[in-house]
Amino acid sequence: MSSMVSGPDLLNAYRLSQTGGYDELLDGDGAPRRHWLPFLKELNALPEADRAARALRLDRRVRETGIAYDVFADPTLGSQQWQLDLVPIVFSSAEWRWLEAALIQRAELFDAVLNDLYGDQHLLRDGHLPPELVFSDSAYLRACQGVLPHSGGLRFYAADLARGADGQWRIIDSHAETLAGAGFALANRMVHTHVAGDLFNASNAVRLAPYFQDVQAALTQHSGRDNARIALLTPGAHHEDYFSHAYIARYLGYLLVEGADLRTRGGQVFLKTLEGLKEIDLIVRCVDGRASDPLELDPSGYDGPSGLVRTCRRSPGLVVNAIGSALVQNRALGPYLPKLAKHLLGEDLALHDAPRWWLGCEKSRRHVAERFDQLVIRKAQEGTGRPGQAALGQDTRSMSDAERDLLKREIALHGARLVAEEKIGFSKAPVYANGSLAPQPFAVRMFVARTQAGYVAMPGGLAMTIDPDRAVALSAPDGHTRDVWVLSDAEQAHHVSLWRPALETARVQRAQRVIQSRVADDLFWLGRYTERADWTMRVLRSALRRVAEDSGPEAGTVAARKCLQVLLTDDDSTAADRARIAGLDYDGLCAKLVRGGGATRTLERTMQRLYKVAHLARDRLSLEAFQTLSRFRPGDTWAASLASARPGGVLDLLDEGLASISAFNGLMHENMTRNFGWSILDMGRRLERAYNLSEAMMALFIPAPDAEEEQNSLMLLLELADSFITYRSRYRLDPMLPLVLDLLLLDDTNPRSLCYQLAAFSRQLETLPEGKQGVSLTEDRRVILALLTSIRLADIERIASEPSRATLQKLLGEQLLLLPELSDAVARHYFNLTDDALHRAHLRSESAS
Amino acid sequence: MMLDVSHRTYYQYSSPVVQSQHLIHLTPRSTERQAIRHHSLIIEPAPATRFDSVDAFGNHMAILDIELPHKEFVLHARTTVETIAPPAFDFAKTTPWDKLDGVLAPAGKPIPLDVVQYRCVSRLTTASLGIAEYAAQSFTRGRPVLQGAMDLTLRIYDEFTFDSTATDVSTPIHEVFRHRRGVCQDFAHFALACCRAMRVPARYVSGYILTRPPPGQPRLQGADASHAWISVWSPQTGWIDLDPTNGIAVSDEHVMVACGRDYEDVSPISGLLLGGGDHDVNVGVDVVPV
Repeated sequence: MSSMVSGPDLLNAYRLSQTGGYDELLDGDGAPRRHWLPFLKELNALPEADRAARALRLDRRVRETGIAYDVFADPTLGSQQWQLDLVPIVFSSAEWRWLEAALIQRAELFDAVLNDLYGDQHLLRDGHLPPELVFSDSAYLRACQGVLPHSGGLRFYAADLARGADGQWRIIDSHAETLAGAGFALANRMVHTHVAGDLFNASNAVRLAPYFQDVQAALTQHSGRDNARIALLTPGAHHEDYFSHAYIARYLGYLLVEGADLRTRGGQVFLKTLEGLKEIDLIVRCVDGRASDPLELDPSGYDGPSGLVRTCRRSPGLVVNAIGSALVQNRALGPYLPKLAKHLLGEDLALHDAPRWWLGCEKSRRHVAERFDQLVIRKAQEGTGRPGQAALGQDTRSMSDAERDLLKREIALHGARLVAEEKIGFSKAPVYANGSLAPQPFAVRMFVARTQAGYVAMPGGLAMTIDPDRAVALSAPDGHTRDVWVLSDAEQAHHVSLWRPALETARVQRAQRVIQSRVADDLFWLGRYTERADWTMRVLRSALRRVAEDSGPEAGTVAARKCLQVLLTDDDSTAADRARIAGLDYDGLCAKLVRGGGATRTLERTMQRLYKVAHLARDRLSLEAFQTLSRFRPGDTWAASLASARPGGVLDLLDEGLASISAFNGLMHENMTRNFGWSILDMGRRLERAYNLSEAMMALFIPAPDAEEEQNSLMLLLELADSFITYRSRYRLDPMLPLVLDLLLLDDTNPRSLCYQLAAFSRQLETLPEGKQGVSLTEDRRVILALLTSIRLADIERIASEPSRATLQKLLGEQLLLLPELSDAVARHYFNLTDDALHRAHLRSESAS
Repeated sequence: MMLDVSHRTYYQYSSPVVQSQHLIHLTPRSTERQAIRHHSLIIEPAPATRFDSVDAFGNHMAILDIELPHKEFVLHARTTVETIAPPAFDFAKTTPWDKLDGVLAPAGKPIPLDVVQYRCVSRLTTASLGIAEYAAQSFTRGRPVLQGAMDLTLRIYDEFTFDSTATDVSTPIHEVFRHRRGVCQDFAHFALACCRAMRVPARYVSGYILTRPPPGQPRLQGADASHAWISVWSPQTGWIDLDPTNGIAVSDEHVMVACGRDYEDVSPISGLLLGGGDHDVNVGVDVVPV
């Protein structure tokens, strides 16, 4: 049988590199286990070139999807890498059924433990669990005493499992705080299916979508309303799990919110939106329990809204998992679980934790002291939601005598917060590397959720390669991950995706129509930065072409120079800055606009900011739209090559960059729902374009250049404003000042004219809720009206014939002055960011008596 | 002793506070040693909602939502309380500190969790190895628990200097230990870290103390401040209050407002503000015998 499905190439090398211990792929006789056969057969049937190509596509797709790239992290750090192997971990349906039952039992047990510890505490009072184990745990939140038992308990649970060298599965860590990286598992599956869906289908593996549908239905039911407004609470884009939060929120159709977006009042929690406060029906909590209410919990934790615990006292079901649930993550519970299972469930514990001792117990400390060298000392509570990020623990073998002595004293003093753990080893499963399969130790995270039918386990998970010499937990510094497949006995149902849910559409879209003030701010700047990037690249392209095409000495470079210069200065530039820029030669100016330290509008900085806001607003963007911007990720090849390229190379790169921006704009234009978010994005774009155009005109025509230079300037302006063709087809003349000014200032049918930008901005502004009531116009509406009126009333004949250009100067000067004011006014009116940070006032007791 | 306590806190903000939420512990609890005869709390501006409850440690707490823009915020708590000195007890007759395990995990009987919870360290009372060594000098082998605790109280009183400029509300105890300086709150946290390093049940108490003006001088109004001390448990006495700042066992001149693991559990006023700019705070406490 094995020879039929496995070519000599794939399995022979694998057998050679086997080093003993349990192997997932091969049985004791070296034959492939039955449940791997369908996959092996398909994989073997592929030409090696195809396998290698798929591995590369996985890599690329992971990067395009943005898995695990922390937006503010240094992308060159190794720890940020995320790799997805072509080979999944395959579970037989029988083994899966056993594991699922065991995980469900564990979830039920932890649910019962939580209800007791946050309720009557019989377990502590009657000696089933040492009270000091619980009271020393900073995850035990007294403010939630009496609240959690009414909350619906543990709704999400995740376990990190490892199969020891002895073939036994054990839980090495538990996660009860948040979704614990379920988004990574989902994203891995999406990426993998995209590249190797044929292998998946041939294996008859179980899909994930029905699980998430059940989760969605259960949360809707829990919220108590069919058209519930459900929010996923994340610490924000700086958090290492942000990708997972954004991905899952998007997939389930929930709002992605941060603590500062919310406000509590009595028993309710509200979302601050463009239209004012909107009540939230349910919060899926992806922030640490301790950090979710600065008023009653950790005073330095601002990841949730102030007053959330008080709100939960009134509405206990409001937050899932209930605040305080992280208590069952305590590793020290492990040795007590078998008795707790008997006591609380009347059952034997099916799946044990890795062998462990709680060091708060005198007897355990003595036992541990005797075999100190064989054990690893770890914190009892660590709380890492992110797969692969657990701490390694202190291995006593590698310690000096002094370190060992210190550790022993630490244990004597703070043993209640420490555990000792035995290394159980890790079984191995194949990874695809260099054209063959190699056995690698792994651990796997599995997920459980409470649905209307009770707890169910996600038929999949996230496996990671482990360094067995160092790790006792799911710690994977190289981020090498694998999808997890569960084989089915039954025929798989047709593909169900939640991306475009059919029946629930109405509900999901209603929720998405709400725009948080913070997200509106991000979208506004996304509009501004895409336009700024576009404009800056156009200026650079035009400038470089003028020297590359060699169309006569100096032709047009004087005009281009003015446009480059003006982009390198702003209101904050000092006289010295300006002099330095004026002193640069043409190439120096171009290079500086690409990446000049100090200047605020260099291409490099604009791209960084563009990528950052796109990341912040990514749950509002389609995946495709986000992917078009992935080229601009700081440190990625495009940005790196741009920095080092020679002038000719830069032109090619600029063409690529401009194509990406227009692809992004096109996708947004075609795909984005015309809601407030769209209006805000478009307003940002219009405002930026109006500003850039006004600024360039000011630079080019004031003071008035001579006749030849005026021609060059007009040509350049038409080029930058992408209106050359329009001009030519309309006038069939060389550029003339009155005609060009008319086309670019006044013509409201030209989508590149100033008037068009202002009119479009005004129209979009009208679609936004008025917010503040009153007879007089709001500030933003007043400013746009002034700008628009001033342009519409302009007398082009007079402006163009005036030798002093005073009227044009006044007109453009007004735009340059009021457009930034308009931006601020919109921000004040809609984004409400001034003074929006909560801060804490404290007093202390000082009596000396 | 019958005491009138006035505790007035006055915040001034440089720009308006648009909205604020406060968690307050300003209403003293009744205990065996103190009976609350009268209590009033004036809050200005009046909160839009006020939620009163008893926290997990048995203290009165309230959560206030203030939704009117304001530049001043006043809380004035007034209490008339009758205090009773604890009966005299020989600390040498209490159970040795290293024999408490047996008392606190009695075979076949429920474990007294309200005592056991105070053996465990909290965020502000986590001892370093150095602090544990300091503590061990007071809790020598077989020493009665309250005798050890009183010895610790006196050592802190003798060796530490009261200095309100040396620390602020966020100074960690190892700094207090290193410089041997601080205020009552720091000394209480340090004493708690020492007790808990030895697994002696001890809790943080916030409240007020009757102060006496220097001989021949009148009492200055509002000159006092809120105070903090510790409470240590023995099976013979229950909770006994010790004041490291003054080097005494508490008699009837202290008024307890709230107790918990540390300051964070019982902070008199904490709040989260939207807006407000810089703030300036004035606290006036008067404790006057009636």
